[in-house]
Amino acid sequence: MSGGHRKAWLSMTGVLAMALLASACGGDDGGDDGDGAAAGSEEQIQLRFSWWGSDERRELTEAAIAAFEEQHPEIDVQGEYIEWSGYWDRLATQVAAGDAPDVITQEERFLREYASRGALLDLSEHEDVIDLSQLDPLVTSSGEVDGGLYGIPTGVNAYVVYANPALFAQAGVELPDDTTWTWDDYIRIAGEITAATGGEVFGTMDYGGNEAGFKILARQNDQELYDADGELAFDAETLAQWWDYSLRLRDSGGAPQATLSAEQQDTGSPEQTLLGTNRAAMAWYWSNTLAALSSASGNELMLLRPPGEHEGDRTGNYYKPAMHYSVSADTEHPEEAAMLVDFLLNDPAAVDAIRSDRGLPANLEQRERILGDLDEHQVAEAEYLAEIQEDIEDSPPAPPVGAGQVVDIIKRLNVEVLFDRLTPDEAAEHFISEVEAATG
Amino acid sequence: MAYLFLAPWFIGMVVITIGPILASLYLSFTEYSLLQPPEWLGLENYRRMLDDERLHTALRVTFTYVFVSVPMQLALALALAFFLDRGVRGLAIYRSIYYLPSLLGGSVAIAILWRQIFGTEGLINQLLGAVGIEGEGWVSHPDHALSTLIVLNVWTFGAPMVIFLAGLRQIPTMYYEAAEVDGAGGFTKFWRITIPLLTPIIFFNLVLQIIGSFQTFTQAFIVSGGTGGPADSTLFYTLYTYQRGFGSFEMGYASALAWVLLVIIAIFTAVNFLAAKRWVHYGD
Repeated sequence: MSGGHRKAWLSMTGVLAMALLASACGGDDGGDDGDGAAAGSEEQIQLRFSWWGSDERRELTEAAIAAFEEQHPEIDVQGEYIEWSGYWDRLATQVAAGDAPDVITQEERFLREYASRGALLDLSEHEDVIDLSQLDPLVTSSGEVDGGLYGIPTGVNAYVVYANPALFAQAGVELPDDTTWTWDDYIRIAGEITAATGGEVFGTMDYGGNEAGFKILARQNDQELYDADGELAFDAETLAQWWDYSLRLRDSGGAPQATLSAEQQDTGSPEQTLLGTNRAAMAWYWSNTLAALSSASGNELMLLRPPGEHEGDRTGNYYKPAMHYSVSADTEHPEEAAMLVDFLLNDPAAVDAIRSDRGLPANLEQRERILGDLDEHQVAEAEYLAEIQEDIEDSPPAPPVGAGQVVDIIKRLNVEVLFDRLTPDEAAEHFISEVEAATG
Repeated sequence: MAYLFLAPWFIGMVVITIGPILASLYLSFTEYSLLQPPEWLGLENYRRMLDDERLHTALRVTFTYVFVSVPMQLALALALAFFLDRGVRGLAIYRSIYYLPSLLGGSVAIAILWRQIFGTEGLINQLLGAVGIEGEGWVSHPDHALSTLIVLNVWTFGAPMVIFLAGLRQIPTMYYEAAEVDGAGGFTKFWRITIPLLTPIIFFNLVLQIIGSFQTFTQAFIVSGGTGGPADSTLFYTLYTYQRGFGSFEMGYASALAWVLLVIIAIFTAVNFLAAKRWVHYGD
């Protein structure tokens, strides 16, 4: 008798605790909707949508969310945003705590990590809701993992050499013909700019800490960073050569001294980079940062093809899915989450709001439609992406589980090389063994 | 009834402290990616530490930091406390000013400031430039980055200084007067009276600062942007633990690392207490 009594008491406290928790959780969204609170009224579905990035991206995305909520008044979407490096820490803890956002922005190096560990929903089961028919076939397959579809690309991007024509003019150096320039040309031109400006302007920023550039060089040499099985698929000499270019740039003055490059490598915002502050004439970035970098520098920046595209066996340039939309496996509203993904990808209102902020829209029909009223930066970006299409032979395979760790590994080894603590050959060996351990 | 009043503390202790501690002990014997249930590995995580080169780097960095910054910080704290104790006008103001860095030193804002001051184009290099010396980036050079963090730690000498100051006040002036009558000079008084009577305070500060320094995280995380760079030169033990846990989803290994740090700190504290019997005087 008393045992039963205690049980009842326990469950009572349990209910109380739950109620407290629930009211605490609900407390932070107050303000925008006064109608949902009344008992018995139609329940509003809450969706959480997470992304990383700048304040500009927040504004664009919230405009898209507002348009979605207008079409679906029964759904309330909460945005969760933070800058890039904090994003992955937070997402990992949220997922571990069973508190993942419903719609999660992913990046290709992390997508497989989450997908293969069962944290994401297989979206191929929701193809009735998410219309894939208009999406760019060059990147759509990038979200496939083990036969399921776990992420859908938001748009396309390419890794490019940014050039600041004003600084080229100041140095009296001619802009290169980017259809024919070689790696040697690149190093020579960078050195000329530094020399001509007396070191006031660096020819180029160091770029050895991002594997995207190496991927291009590897592909130019008929190799890949990862093959389709996720194994490393390049020669150590190729990677050593890549870092050797960095040292040649450093020693010729074309790129800054090691300490400045090491600092720049950890500089997150475009405004503070040497390119953004008009102190470097060239730098490697993703094409969708053109607007941010141009407005930071105040000069119209140009997008150049990577050097050496017609130097080796083949070209290395590729389209990258800028980001992926994915849905948490734990979501209580898979249907509505899928609706939001479909909206963000395909609805004209969403594309009008977001434009090319997440890469040029993956939806080809929408991309075509907005090309007419893009601003100058977006036009330049779109034109560049169209121009390089003739060069692009194939897409690199999706990176394996653990590829997210390479972000830090290559930065660290790059600094070791720049400070002459490791030779390019040694650094290449380290890279191979560390990345094999991380992705193995 | 007493238990009811104890309950809030007790529940907090069990749920927030003891529970997670025991969970991390268990997890240290598993592979746990956060996303999937843990898998039992036995001692594999601990064995792996023997071959983990970055862990060895992290140990080297952390030990260097502790062994260099703690003695420097305590010496500075004692020296300033000693001079303030000799009667300075506006003592309360000086005490507050010197104490301030202790309150700020562990904060994110100061770490960011440090990064700016010691950057390639930071304040230090501008000052050096003004006198014709071309400095390198301090926080971004693998040979200097740790030194800037040591300076940061030494700068937060205020907390031990305030404790020293209180300790100095406890020393009865009659000892000094008696020594003066016997003809003792300033140094002799300091060495023969002040230091011996202050040993319990020195010991207390030493233990606290060693434990604290082993756990340094925020400064290294912010100054290096979370990487422990440049080239792992500021890869503190706790930072490496964090990277393994949250950067590469190896919560099992990170838990094992945390437990090893606990053991290291426990050993240091035990050795401190054993050695204290030889040099700490608790009066009669």
